[in-house]
Formats: sequence, C-alpha cells, structure tokens
Amino acid sequence: MTVNRRKKPASVNPMKIGQSLGAVLALQGCYRAMPLIHGSQGCSAFPKALLTRHFREPIAVQTSALQEMDVIFDANRNLEEALNLVLSKHRPDIIGIIGTELTDVAGVDYQNMLKTYKRERNMRGGLAFSVVLPDFRGSLESGFSSTVESMIDEMIQQVGHRGQRSMNTRQITLLPGSFLTPADVMELKEIISSFGFEVIALPDISTSLSGHLLTGFSPLTRGGVPLDSMLQSLQSGLTIAVGGSMERPARRLHNAIGTPYKVFEGAMGLKATDELLHFLHQISGEPVPLRYCWQRENLLDSMLDAHFQFAGMSVVAALEPDHLHSVSGWLEELGVEQKALITSFETPLIAGMEREVWVGDLDDAEVLGKGADLWISNSHGIAGAKRTGAAFMPAGFPVWNELGAYMSVSAGYRGAMEWSNKAGNLLMQREAGSRESSVRHR
Amino acid sequence: MDPLRQDEFDSQACGSMAPKAKPCPRPKPGEAAGGCSFDGAQITLLPIMDAAHLVHGPIACAGNSWESRGTLSSGPSLSQYGFATDLTDSDIIFGGEKKLKDSIDYIAGRFAPPAIFVYSTCVTALIGEDMDAVCKEAADRIGIPVIPVNSPGFVGSKNLGNRLAGDALLQYVIGTGEPEPETDLGVNLIGEYNIAGEMWDIEKLMNSAGIAVTSRITGDARYKEITWAHRARVNMVVCSRALLGLAREMESRYGIPYFEGSFYGAKETTYSLRQMAYLMNDREMERRVDRLTEREEARLSQELRPYRKLLRGKRAVLYTGGVKSWSVISALKELGVQVVGVGTNKSTEDDVRRIADRVGDDTEYIPEGGASRIIKTVRERKADIMIAGGRNMYVAMKEQIPFIDINQERHKAYAGYEGLLRLAKELTYSLANPIWKLAASPAPWDKEAPPYDR
Repeated sequence: MTVNRRKKPASVNPMKIGQSLGAVLALQGCYRAMPLIHGSQGCSAFPKALLTRHFREPIAVQTSALQEMDVIFDANRNLEEALNLVLSKHRPDIIGIIGTELTDVAGVDYQNMLKTYKRERNMRGGLAFSVVLPDFRGSLESGFSSTVESMIDEMIQQVGHRGQRSMNTRQITLLPGSFLTPADVMELKEIISSFGFEVIALPDISTSLSGHLLTGFSPLTRGGVPLDSMLQSLQSGLTIAVGGSMERPARRLHNAIGTPYKVFEGAMGLKATDELLHFLHQISGEPVPLRYCWQRENLLDSMLDAHFQFAGMSVVAALEPDHLHSVSGWLEELGVEQKALITSFETPLIAGMEREVWVGDLDDAEVLGKGADLWISNSHGIAGAKRTGAAFMPAGFPVWNELGAYMSVSAGYRGAMEWSNKAGNLLMQREAGSRESSVRHR
Repeated sequence: MDPLRQDEFDSQACGSMAPKAKPCPRPKPGEAAGGCSFDGAQITLLPIMDAAHLVHGPIACAGNSWESRGTLSSGPSLSQYGFATDLTDSDIIFGGEKKLKDSIDYIAGRFAPPAIFVYSTCVTALIGEDMDAVCKEAADRIGIPVIPVNSPGFVGSKNLGNRLAGDALLQYVIGTGEPEPETDLGVNLIGEYNIAGEMWDIEKLMNSAGIAVTSRITGDARYKEITWAHRARVNMVVCSRALLGLAREMESRYGIPYFEGSFYGAKETTYSLRQMAYLMNDREMERRVDRLTEREEARLSQELRPYRKLLRGKRAVLYTGGVKSWSVISALKELGVQVVGVGTNKSTEDDVRRIADRVGDDTEYIPEGGASRIIKTVRERKADIMIAGGRNMYVAMKEQIPFIDINQERHKAYAGYEGLLRLAKELTYSLANPIWKLAASPAPWDKEAPPYDR
C-alpha cells in the first residue's frame, strides 16, 4: 500500500547489509567456488567475519586487496594477481568476481578485463563471472539474487553453442531466496522431490552451510551444488523461484532457453505452503504425501493451542524485503497486530503489499514499534528490543545469539509450526517474567 | 627479562610515528586475510563508550561491522550504536558533505554525546570529501568535539588503522582537558580494549596495589578521561605494536615515560605492575606491589596445581591476531604447555626476539599464510590444541582440533592472575571434552568400511 521513510539524515543502528555479502552467501551454495571481492581488504574481511559468526562455519572468500594507489592507477592489476594466485593454487570450479562501491566509484572496468583474461588464458571448463554490487544500492537480498542471475547468464553462455536442448520434465530447478536457511532449502528440496521430481537447487546452501564433518582443509567452498549439476539444471522442465527477488533469475532462464517458471513469494505459513503443495500436486499428478497431510493438521492444531497466547499481541518486524513479506503473511494467520514493518530497501514486492511498510533501520523499529510485545529482527535488534520491553525473536541475518539458528526451519508446515511455537514461547516467558517482577514489587 | 626501556626506534614497525617509505607490507591479492585500516581505527576508538561513532560512507562499512567487538562497557552504551551517513548514488555524485553535517547535528541533538568521532571510508576518501573541514565547522557550531578519523580502508592494514586512530587522539583529544583536582594520577593503559572485561581485572589489581588508572586508552573509557591523559605519570602500552607511536609521542611532548608490558601470565603481570611502580618512582608503592604480587602468585600456584598436572607436556600452536604472541607464550609456559608453532605475521623484530627468548629451538615460526598453513603446523608438530582468533575457529572445528579463541571476539578474560587461572580451566575443558572422541569414531555400520573423505 504505502512505503514510507522517516526523515533523518543518518542511519542509526543499520539493518541493511552490503550487497556483496549477499553475493558471497550465494557462492557458498556452489561447490568448489571462490568469491573474489574486488575492493579493499575490509570489503571481504567484514562479510567473512559476519558470515562465520552466523553460520559457525568457515567461509570461502578472497579479496583483490586494493590500496589507494591501486585504485588511482590500475586496480585490475590487483585483480589479475588475485586471479592468477587463486587459479593456480586452488583450482576452483567457479569464480565470482564481486565489484564493490570502491571499484564502482573509481570506474574500474573489470568486466572487460575478465573477458580478456579468459580469452588470453583460454579458460574453459570452469565458470568465471563478474557482478557489480556497490552497497549504496540494495542490500543482502539484491546482492544474492543479482549474483544468481549473473551465474545463470554465464552458464547459458557457456552451453549456448551446444545446440538443441533436451528437456527433462521430471527435473525442477529451485531458486531459493537469500532469506531461506540451509534447513529451509533442505525442506523445500524434500517437499518438491516427494512429488517425484529431481531437484537442483541453485545455489544450494543446504549442503554447504548446514554443518558437515568433511576433513581436509580447503579455502574453497566445501559443499553446495557442483558445477555439472548446475549446467544440467539448464535441462530442467520447470523453475521454481522462492522469494520475489528470485523472479529475475527465473525470468532470465525463461527468456534465454524457454524454461517455464513459477514464483512463490514465500513459503511460510499455512496458505503459502498450501499453495506450494497444491501446485506440485497439480503438475505432478501425484497425491500430496501423507506426512504433509499430517503436518498440516499438526500445524493447525498447534495454532489452535497457541491462539490464546497471541490474542491481543502486537509485533514489530525488521527484515529484508522478501523475508518481511513472508513473515508478515504468517503473522496475519496468527491474528496478531503488526505494529510496524521495517525493511532495508524498496522492492516491487514490498511496494505491492497491502500493509504500510517503512524503509529504514533498527532505530526506526524502536520508535515505530514502541509498545510491541514481540520484536523480530536480526541479532542487532537485541538492544532495541530490550529498550522497548519486547520479547526478542532472532531472524534473518546475522543471528549470533542463538545456537543452530541456521538450522531452524521456517518453510513448509513444519517451519510455520516451529516459528509459531517459538514466538508463543517467547511471549509466554515474557509474561511470566513480568508477573514475577510485579510480585517482587508489591 | 626485557630491557626496561627500549631506546632504539624500530623503524620497521607500523607503530613508529615516522614510518619509512613502506610502513606495512602490502597485502597480497588473492591471499590476503584480515581487516582494513578503517577496521583498525574502529577497534581502537570504539571502546570510548560514551562517544558517538559515525561512519561517513555507504552502508556496508558500518552495517557489516557494528556490534562485532567483544569490548564491554560498565555504563554508557552509545558507542554500541551503529551510526552511518549511508550514502546513496546521488550523494556520491553531488557530494556527501551536507549529509555528514546534518548527521552530526542530528546525533548531537538527539543523543548529546560528549564527542563525535567521524570515520572516513574508501568511497568518501576517493571522492575527496573534506571531512576535516566539515568536522571543524561542526565542532565550532555545536560546541562539542567532532573528531575526524582519516583512516579509509584502502590505505592499508588493520595495524595502520590502529596507528591512525592513535594519531587522531593525539591531534584532537589528548591534552584538551584537565582532570578534576582531587584525581589521583597514575598510569595510562594504552591498547587495552576491555575485551571480555579484561580491563576490569587489571584495574582491580592495580587498585589493590594502590596504583591509579588515569586514562584508559581505550577499554571501557569515557571521552573526558582521555582528554587529560597527558597528566599521567606513566604510560603502559599493553600488547600493542600500533600504539607504541602514541606512547613515544606522549613521551616527547609531555615527558611521560612508557613501557611495553602484558598481563598474560603471572610473570608478565608481576613484571608489569612492578614496572609501573618503578617508573612512578615511588618506593612505598613498589613495596606494596611486591607484597601483592607475592601473595597473588602464591595463591594462584595453589589453585593452578590440578590444572598444571593435566596440562603438563601438552603441545599448542599459537596464531594470534591482535594480541602479542610473546605474552601468551609466557602464560602458556607457566601452565606447562609447550608452544610448538607460533604465528609471527603481526610481529615486529622486537616481538620475534621476545618470542625466541621464550620458546625452544624446535618451535616453528609461521610468518604468514592463513588457515591451511596453521593446520599443517598442527598436524606436523602433533599439537594438541590450537590457540587462535575467531576467524580460524571453525576451520579448527572442521579438523576436529581443540581450540581456544584468543582474539577480540572472545568471551573469556585471560588477563592478570585470575585470567591465567581461567585460561588453565579453558584449556582443560577444551582438551577433555568428550566430543573429540565421539566425532572421531565412525557410525557402527561404517566401522568395517573406511569413512568418506579421509
């Protein structure tokens, strides 16, 4: 309905995270990949530290380590040096060169440089692409989806000359949005494959950031979708995109090679899951597996149990656009008041929402969400939630105050149930806490 | 024991006030690790807890970095707020100075901090924003200090950023205020950032020996106390190469003697306390320190006994980030832990000399090379435990190597006598955890076949 901005010159307690972090995240979902950030050292050190803190996993990323004089004279010399080193030492299957605000403002043309580099070294077999992601535009979400788009572009170019494509109608390409946890991606893969489809998730963080025990250190990513599967995905009979931001990569596939696509704006809550399962049921002709019928009943029953807890409660949520849209839909089903919805930047999905949304930061959440009972945001929101007296529910990125946050499920009936129980429990604990203190003060 | 004072300048150090042509090695593209100068400047100044810290640039520099340090506050928390001018496309085309000015006014009006630190970033430095002028103009207008910190990420390493932050303190803060008349003057602690509350342990020790802390630069500091740092009688540089320059300059400007010390390990702690009393030139204080350190060391060795038994002969690989290797080596040695590999990537020649004094001949030096190099050393030297920064923590976990976090993200305080006991406990818990056995043994159905990927 309306997208608003509070008038203030500075960002206070930002929730926005640079686009390049989204790119690094996307590349973690590809096997033997190396994201290479074209910028100064900090441009890669900060995302690396933050991603490590959230996922509690080693994160593959490198930098071209630009210094002042490099930027002024020849930034691409650094990039070339970095490429030489990474290629000769680690032999990655996939390299994603991520341009930053620094290279953007300095006007560095690394896309052409990459083309020449690839031609001169006769680079074949791997996937090397670049993507421009200055952080004065967009946020994590847009960085993630732009990277997937560039990756798809490069894949199409590489196989483009191989002529007629044979379509496999039993294979589906899943484009999961940046707000989905590794466990969510796993859940979606399971749901789709339970209807008899082969699923290739692009990217697939469920097999790289979900915790594995592979030994033998490598600076490259240790899991995710392998390159041959990625290329094979071009034969899929259908693309399923989850999250509004993933529509563009899906459309890219459609425009280039004609793969039909279906976008699910979210996968959270009863209605969203119903929609997904109904669709899969229709296209496969298979019955909905019994376990999901059970899960649906479990969810409805737990929502019945919890509705006493949610009655009269209000929520403030500050999340990336797609995530906010998803969570807002789920909150609707719980019947709570949505006091304030805050997001990092404006997208078509957000602009089309029936509710009032604010583009802003966690300080805005504090001001606009004053008096809310529950606060949903990344871990940066803890202090704000405390100041406003709301129960704090960590979600989005980064979450560091909770073990296993990256393994929590929000997708499917199971995810909705997990979230409803979690939110209900937090409200219950808060109530118990306030009761205790009122006794003490009597 | 180290020489009391170091007269010769180590001109190679990032910390020297007058660096030679190349103060820090150029980071290697494709193989670089660690933060940038902007990061370094923040590390040094963020622990000034009551000040506002405003990042002038696009969002990610602030958005990705705020609330990432384990530095604790005993009161004010304004420094934990993330402030950014959040420049957009058009700000970059038309200039962000107006936005910066408005942001400073906004923060001053709404939060009334004692001072505002303004950090430049790569982009604002590149487009030539005149931050110094904006800050000066703003300070005159709103009547509080507005301090420009010119340390954009692309000027170099994190260490250089620490030094540039020190320069900003020298230029704009130190010497601009006077302590209240009844203040007991003593020692400035330089380069101690109160990670996990270590500062508090140190301050408690100093107070029980009757030594006052004049200014904390900057762990759990208040802006005001740094303005009168020039009135201190002694400067102690705690484990920081980069801020040596600050101590040197304060010596030449204000005649304050300084020494480099550490609080890791009982020996180093005792040495540091003694050195303070000695440089204060106070016989009575020296006697008090002797009594205190004797008592504390005796108590500590009693309490350490059970842990020493378990830790004797254990082998460790040490790869610290900001903390100096030599001081941690001392602490480990006291616990009977042998250091078989040590990172020297951030050490000066002096540091390396100090390391050499403390380790055996068969200790491997790791000059650079990140995670894979450290793991290799752990394997080759058959180390039992890895002690490093958070960046390498999950690499160690994947390799199932017991690990202790020694860097700025850690949650445990290891300084002072109490800290050594805590370190002994942590080492023991880590080594004795059942997970190492459980993770190493395959599932029952895999026992016949070799497990995957080994």
